[in-house]
Amino acid sequence: MDGQLAEPTLYTVKGMAILDNDGNRILAKYYDKNIFPTSKEQKTFEKNLFNKTHRANAEIIMLDGLTCVYRSNVDLFFYVMGSSHENELILMSVLNCLYDSVSQILRKNVERKAVLDSLDIVMLAMDEICDGGIILDADASSVVQRVALRTDDIPLGEQTVAQSLIVLQSAKEQLKWSLLK
Amino acid sequence: MNAFKRDKKEEEDGGGNPFQNLEKTTVLQEARTFNDTPVNPRKCAHILTKILYLLNQGEQLGTMEATEAFFAMTKLFQSRDVVLRRLVYLGIKELSSLAEDVIIVTSSLTKDMTGKEDLYRAAAIRALCTITDSGMLAAIERYMKQAIVDRSPAVSSAALVSSLHLTKVSGDVARRWANEAQEALNSNNVMVQYHALGVLYQARKADKHAVIKLVAKLMRTSPKSPYAACMLIRMACKLLDEVDKGEELLGFIETCLRHKSEMVVYEAAHALINLGRNCTKEITPAISVLQLFCGSQKPALRFAAVRTLNKVAMSHPTAVTACNLDLENLITDSNRSIATLAITTLLKTGAESSVDR
Repeated sequence: MDGQLAEPTLYTVKGMAILDNDGNRILAKYYDKNIFPTSKEQKTFEKNLFNKTHRANAEIIMLDGLTCVYRSNVDLFFYVMGSSHENELILMSVLNCLYDSVSQILRKNVERKAVLDSLDIVMLAMDEICDGGIILDADASSVVQRVALRTDDIPLGEQTVAQSLIVLQSAKEQLKWSLLK
Repeated sequence: MNAFKRDKKEEEDGGGNPFQNLEKTTVLQEARTFNDTPVNPRKCAHILTKILYLLNQGEQLGTMEATEAFFAMTKLFQSRDVVLRRLVYLGIKELSSLAEDVIIVTSSLTKDMTGKEDLYRAAAIRALCTITDSGMLAAIERYMKQAIVDRSPAVSSAALVSSLHLTKVSGDVARRWANEAQEALNSNNVMVQYHALGVLYQARKADKHAVIKLVAKLMRTSPKSPYAACMLIRMACKLLDEVDKGEELLGFIETCLRHKSEMVVYEAAHALINLGRNCTKEITPAISVLQLFCGSQKPALRFAAVRTLNKVAMSHPTAVTACNLDLENLITDSNRSIATLAITTLLKTGAESSVDR
């Protein structure tokens, strides 16, 4: 039983990944050189993980000796990996932070296209959440504050105008579709 | 109409990934734009994103290629664009292990880390520490000590986390900076408190008496940060393994069962069970907590609970019998891992009477 009591350490997160709905990597980071040292092994693991998780909306799975927590939306899958002795709720808090930060950065439009359009900011966010396996920040709004720098280039007034324009456009498109049917 | 059709077509192709068919050589060629003056922030940020994306996809860069890209990137320090600067920090971290002579950016980073812009400072510290070797450590030591006690939580956390990484470069970094970490431990920010505790433990872990003192002091005030509380529980467990009398430590872990954060409650229950003590009295409260968690809405919590019960069922099957009904409910759980764990646990504790149900 003694082996279960791991050395107290801040190194909690083994990896984080965002995959698309074919299981291809959009972004992934592994923090422990001892697991999956090459990118080939990493991608095999990701494929395997994706195959086991993309249909079952189950939130948590044990795979290859790692505890993986996950969450999905439309065509994106978010994963956080930790050792099998790790506190699952800590991993979950990291996952929620990752998801919520991305969601806030993309203004609730969590899908593949939007992530790719703001890839630089999403990269910065991942870097702010976890540094070399240590949880740096687990509060989404504070992470976004540290990275979402472009939002402040648009003054608030213009932002609302831009948003209502989008609403107008989508209404137009919907009308088009209903006419086409 | 045409635009509409094109959108749809793109969607079928896989959403039109702008990064899909990137060629390493082309992107590295594009990186020459970095040498232009004045710097075009948007364009350069996009190219840098492409390089970072390629690296993230597992693309291998030779030493020459990496060094060339790295040196081109250093030119971007001329720009004051925040996103671009932050991407440069990221680039420095990614390329630091591949490129040669990366210490060239030391002075630029030191300037940023001591500058006024908080958004630069934290990220600059983290980038600087990835390129620091044992020879350079003395040169940045003064700045690092200052950063640890900085009033900005981002800066303080960045410095604390970096000093833990630097332990690989020089073993006694944490010990030399322990006084500052001690001060950071009093921070109101939950993450700073957590990181400071990590550094302090790293500094003192070789000295059992120092750890006992640290734990005893923190147990009295009980850290505000749930992450720090989890870390403290782990430290207490480690001590319990080594010292003979540990009534106080054990008592502390038990009070954590009533913490307001589920994370800490679970950590405490998990700890009590894994201590490997043979006394049923100690694990009973932990088991009742886990029993409650079995009925939680959150799959992760149910998983955590049943996984721990599964373990304790091996040594104390009778203590787990109380949870049999809850475990039976989990057999049909939509998460297969939870269902499997519930079944194997029941196999250890179940009696004939439950087979019928």
